[in-house]
Amino acid sequence: MAGCKTSKMPVTPVGNYNGKVVIDPVNRLEGHLRIEVEVENGRVKNAWSSSQLFRGLEIILQGRDPRDAKHFTQRACGVCTHTHALASTRCVDNAVGVQKSIPETGLVLRNLLLGAQFLHDHVVHFYHLHALDWVDVVSALSASPKKAAEITNTAGLGHRQHTVEELQATQDRIKKFVEQGQLGIFANAYFLEPHASYKLPAELNLIATHHYLEALKIQILPARMMAIIGGKNPHTQSLYEGGITCYDALKPENIAQFKALFKQTMEFVNNTYIPDVLAVAPYYLDWGGIGHTTHFAACGEFPMDESDLASRYLPAGVIFNNDLSVVHDFDPDKVMEHVAHSWYKDGAPKHPWQGVTDPMYTSLDEMETGNTGKYSWMKAPRYDGKATEVGPLAQVLIAYGKGHPRVKPVVDLVLKHLGVGPAALFSTLGRTAARCIETKVIGDEMVAWIEKLEANVAAGKTDIVAPFKMPDSAFGVGFVNAPRGFLSHWIEIEGGKIKNFQLVVPTTWNLGPRSDDGTLSPVEEALIGTPVFDPKRPVEVLRTIHSYDPCIACGVHIIDPKTNETYKFKVC
Amino acid sequence: MADEKKSILVLGVGNILLRDEGVGVRVVERLGREFAFSDNVRLMDGGVRGMILMDPIIESDHVVIIDAVVNDHPPGTIYRLDGDDLRLSVAFKNSVHDMDLLETMCCCELISGKRPSAVIVGIEPKDYQSDPLVELSPEIEAKIPRLMELALEEIRAVGGDFAPRSDN
Repeated sequence: MAGCKTSKMPVTPVGNYNGKVVIDPVNRLEGHLRIEVEVENGRVKNAWSSSQLFRGLEIILQGRDPRDAKHFTQRACGVCTHTHALASTRCVDNAVGVQKSIPETGLVLRNLLLGAQFLHDHVVHFYHLHALDWVDVVSALSASPKKAAEITNTAGLGHRQHTVEELQATQDRIKKFVEQGQLGIFANAYFLEPHASYKLPAELNLIATHHYLEALKIQILPARMMAIIGGKNPHTQSLYEGGITCYDALKPENIAQFKALFKQTMEFVNNTYIPDVLAVAPYYLDWGGIGHTTHFAACGEFPMDESDLASRYLPAGVIFNNDLSVVHDFDPDKVMEHVAHSWYKDGAPKHPWQGVTDPMYTSLDEMETGNTGKYSWMKAPRYDGKATEVGPLAQVLIAYGKGHPRVKPVVDLVLKHLGVGPAALFSTLGRTAARCIETKVIGDEMVAWIEKLEANVAAGKTDIVAPFKMPDSAFGVGFVNAPRGFLSHWIEIEGGKIKNFQLVVPTTWNLGPRSDDGTLSPVEEALIGTPVFDPKRPVEVLRTIHSYDPCIACGVHIIDPKTNETYKFKVC
Repeated sequence: MADEKKSILVLGVGNILLRDEGVGVRVVERLGREFAFSDNVRLMDGGVRGMILMDPIIESDHVVIIDAVVNDHPPGTIYRLDGDDLRLSVAFKNSVHDMDLLETMCCCELISGKRPSAVIVGIEPKDYQSDPLVELSPEIEAKIPRLMELALEEIRAVGGDFAPRSDN
C-alpha cells in the first residue's frame, strides 16, 4: 500500500481458523442480509452475499398512476424513504418531459431536502451503525475522563472543547447500564469480552461513546430540516413532478428555522464527526489495505438542471481498475441486471427498461455448489459487464479524479493526516473516510443553496412547480446518487398508467450476488483477504459489510416479544 | 386529574405495503379521521422509520404505539405490552429492523436520562409475508374498531381527551 507508515502501524490480528463463518442476519443494518465466508488460515478466501427478503415492489406498482409511484416506493424502505420518492419523481419528470421546466427555486428546495438527508444518514451511519465495529464501549469504562478531555481539547484535530464533567457523566451513565444488565442496544456486542481486533485506547473509546450519544440527539436536527421542506418526516410528501409543493418552506420563519438547524448540524459535523474520523483512523490504518474493490460508478447529485447530469454539483462518472487518472462518462445504457445467481427465472442479462420480476426460489444450498447456484433475492447489476461499487467512496473518487475544487482539497487533507497515498482510498478505511468527506462537501455547498433560496424569495421568484401533461406512453428514468449510492428508477408508461417499473437500488449494486459469468459483487470482492481473528465474533467481516451502509429495504417491522432471540449464527 | 397534562404521542407504525404489517398506520389514520383530540395528544404515522421517531418520542411523556406483534397466537389476537415486556424485546434480536422502535426508546433513555412511559397495543398479523399489497387481511381489518377502542382507553387513562368528529 503506497505511502503508509509501517513502523507504528497497528495490525489487525490474524487467527488460524479454517472453515466457514455464517453471519445471518447481519446486525445494525436495514433489512435481512446473510453473509457466508470461507476462511483459510485466518483470512477470507471466498464470500457469498445473500439477501433473504423478496422485494416485489415492482408488482404492486403496475397499473397505477405514475405520480403515485413515489408514495409507494418510499414506503418500502425504513431508511432511504425520501431518496426513493425523489428517484420516482425524477423518473416520471423524465417520462413526461418536464425536467427543463422545473423552476430554479423548486430545484434549490429539492437539493436542500436531499442535502439534509445526507447530513442525517451519514452521521447516523458512522456513529450508530458503524462505530461499534471499531469502538469498544466497555473499554470506555476504564478510561480517565481527564485524559480524554485533554485529547479533545489539545490534540488539534478540530474537536470542540470538552469538560471533564461531561465525559465523566457519560462514563457514569454507561457504567449504570452495564451494571444493571440493561445492555439494550449493546447486548450481544462483540466487545463485551475483550477482542484483540479493537485497537483504540480507552480514552478514545470514551470520547467516541460520548459522541455516539450526542449524535443520537443531533440526528434529530437534519430530520427536522427535511420535515420543513418535505412536509413531514418519515415519508416526505411535497415532491411532485415538475418541482415541489412545499410553499410553506418559502416563509421567512421556516427558512430561519431551517438555517438554525443546519448551523447546529454542521457544527457537529465540523467539530465532532470529522475530528473523530481523524482520531480513530490512525489506529486502524491497515484497513487502508482491507476491503479492496476495483470499479466505481456515480450518477452525480444536486442538479441545477434536472435534464443534465453534467449540471450536478457532484459529478457523474465511472472509474475502472482503480485508475483515478481516467474518469469515464456515465452511460445508463450500460446498466444490466444478471439473474443467473438470483432467485428469478433464468434469462439473459436485461436492461431495467426490459426488466422483469419473475421470482423463482430454489434453495440456499446452491450457495455451496460453487459458481452455479442461485443464492439471493437480489439481482446482480453490472455496468459494462463489471461489478461496480457505488456509494460515497465512488462519488468521492470520481469527484477527486475530476479535480473537483471542493472534494480534492478535503481528500488530500485526510490523506496527508494519515500519511497515506490515494491507493489507500480503495478500501474499507477509504469507504468510511469518504462518507465523512461527502458529508462535509455537501454541507458546505448547502450554504450557497440557502443563500440562493433567500435571494429568490426576496426577488419574488416563488414558483416551485411547473405544469405538464401525462403522455399516453413513454419511458423514463430517474437517477439519485443517494447516501448509499447510485439509485435508479425506470418506468414504462402505457395508457397513462405504469406498465413496468423497475428499481435498481445501491445496495443491490454493492451487495448483490455473482453475475452470470461468476464475477463477485463488490462486497464479495471486498471481503477476500479479510483477517478473521475469532470466528465466533467476526467483527472484521462486519467492518467491511457495514462500510457499505447496506439497506436491504425490508420494511418488515414486526415487534417480536419473544425474549432472548439471538442470531442464527453458526461456525461450520 | 394531573395538574399538568401529560404530552401523549399516539404512534402507528408499520409498512403499509406489506398487508397486515401496516395495521398500526391504518389505525392511526382512522383515529385521526373519526376523532378530535385534546391539545396534549398527538397522532403520528410513524411509517417504517426508527431513529427519526426519537424526536417525537423524546418530546412525549407517554407513547401509545400501535403495531403488528408476532407472538405465535392466532391471527387477530390482540395484545397489550408495557413495562418489562418492552424491555425484554430490545437487544440484537432476530429482527430485520435494527434501530427499530424499541431500541429507539432505549436510546431516548441513554441520551436524556428519561424514558417516556409506553404501551404497545398490538395485534397478531395474519399475512405480512406474501406479495406486496396495501389491503389488510379481512380478519385484521375487522379488528380495527377494537384496536381503536383500546388506544382510546390508553389515551384517556394518561390524561388525554377526545370526542367523535361531527363532520364524520
